[in-house]
Amino acid sequence: MDPTNNKTDNEPLANRNDYLWDGSGVPDPEIRKLEALLRGFRHDRPAPVFPDIVPSRRWSFFPWRVRLFPVLSATAAVLFAIAAIIFLTHGTKPSPVAMAGWDVSRMAGTPRIGSTTVRANELPSRLGVGQVLETDDQSRASLRSEGIGQIEMEPSSRLRLLTMGKGLKRIALDRGTIHAFIWAPPGQFVVDTPSAMTVDLGCAYTLQVDDSGSGLVRTSLGWVGFKLHGHESFIPAGAACATRPKVGPGTPYFEDASAEFRAALKRFDFEDSTPQQRAADLVITLAQSRTGDALTLWHLLARVDDVQRALVYDRLSQIAPPPVGVTREGILGLDQPMLDLWWNALGFDDISVWRHWERSWSGTNTPDDK
Amino acid sequence: MASRPGDSVDLLAAGLGPRAVRDQFAREVSDDAILVRAAQEGDRAAFGRLYERYARMVHGVLLAKVPVSAVDDLLQDVFLRALRRLSTLRESGSFGAWLVTIARNLANDYHRRALPEEPLADDAPDSHLPDHDLGGGDPRAEHSGAKYGTAEHAASAAAILDAIRSLPDAYRETLILRLVEGLTGPEIAARTGLTHGSVRVNLHRGMEQLRAKLRPPASGGQLEQEMR
Repeated sequence: MDPTNNKTDNEPLANRNDYLWDGSGVPDPEIRKLEALLRGFRHDRPAPVFPDIVPSRRWSFFPWRVRLFPVLSATAAVLFAIAAIIFLTHGTKPSPVAMAGWDVSRMAGTPRIGSTTVRANELPSRLGVGQVLETDDQSRASLRSEGIGQIEMEPSSRLRLLTMGKGLKRIALDRGTIHAFIWAPPGQFVVDTPSAMTVDLGCAYTLQVDDSGSGLVRTSLGWVGFKLHGHESFIPAGAACATRPKVGPGTPYFEDASAEFRAALKRFDFEDSTPQQRAADLVITLAQSRTGDALTLWHLLARVDDVQRALVYDRLSQIAPPPVGVTREGILGLDQPMLDLWWNALGFDDISVWRHWERSWSGTNTPDDK
Repeated sequence: MASRPGDSVDLLAAGLGPRAVRDQFAREVSDDAILVRAAQEGDRAAFGRLYERYARMVHGVLLAKVPVSAVDDLLQDVFLRALRRLSTLRESGSFGAWLVTIARNLANDYHRRALPEEPLADDAPDSHLPDHDLGGGDPRAEHSGAKYGTAEHAASAAAILDAIRSLPDAYRETLILRLVEGLTGPEIAARTGLTHGSVRVNLHRGMEQLRAKLRPPASGGQLEQEMR
């Protein structure tokens, strides 16, 4: 049955007279009955006598309207000027729809985009390219971009949106703490800090930057690349890595490593100590290393001199024997394919992701390049 | 004029060619436009023609929303208001849709004024229609606006009208225009500005819902008997 025709499909086309529709064809007895019953309500009164109609005139013949025209024009001009001033004054106000960027929502306090406060119970504000999002010591904010991920911003933080292109999506964390949960393809989301560039490799992580520009990344899911010039660190889930301005990323470590191990590593990475002191700290680090600390020792291979490299190789070989194809000579000579092969054998993520990223974004500036 | 959704379906049912349907609609719109322009220039007879053309439609729209006793007064109000505001109507071809809007607004105003809200079902048989014959010039029958030979008929008619007025807005208006005012589907479409497809759907679905409401739960009551 055709729901709009009220006829069965078996009826011949000629008989498809729709009495309900236009009164044609064979009358539907039920409808006829309704019509007969309801006819008494039908309008059947003659037209009333209407008053005279004042003819409408073209407005141009109305003198008062002619006089009104300049007034209306002047009013329109004033309104236009006010609108233009408002637009120019608030042109940088984050718009919820107008520009590409991150949607910003208030979580606590009064986060600000530029000079504009992100208020509660409003649609998310938009952080556009070039704009700054800041939280004071009472404020927290949430950023979300459907194609990239979500970031929560802790109090006393300052973040800038640098690019939102098809390739790299880049922000800068000048200070404070963010928690990032990224679903963009690995390598596309980058956070600049004063001391290193953080490259998401498919992960969730927390990034802190203090007022001196020093930073710390702690990965909770996937892994993160930390990079300054050619100095790079890979931080898998459960690991952390510090950075210092002008020095760059230190050596990553698992947070469950011993306190002695972490203290010696910190001195080795960042303290302005004598070669003897550095050698002593390295010895402590190697001595305190567990099987799980292969992450740290693998990174140390490229950060020590030739003599120390042999020591690191020997210890790393004990806790994580090199795979087939990796030789002592190759590692001591910092053969990149062998280093990568050994990394992959450690059971973390495939380093080819990182190498691919480096090839794709070889021209990407690190903080010290700017 | 461009073909509108629903036209092809209408043509099958009405047995008309596309040109005939379009020509008819175009003629009505064109006539309206001529009459509206004439009325705007002060031609009272032209406005009278518009009244004749649209009074049933406005009456039906009002009947769908306000008590029968209030319809005639409101009908006059609608046209008086239209007359006073005729100069503001820019699209003379959309006079019908404009009039429908005025009618709906006045019906809404009526309910706002009538606080505490006057029940729409003042035409129900229990409250207004006596058991005896209303055909002999009973003033209450005149007040109800309906003319019936017997009290049973009057009661049935009022009950059916109430049943229609309990339907969703779109259905009740269209059904009243069709069953009470006697307008055909194409006329309803032309006068209200709805598409043929919309009117057809409203008629069909409204009729289905009305049948369901009139169908007694078990054995046929008075209304069902009246329908047989």
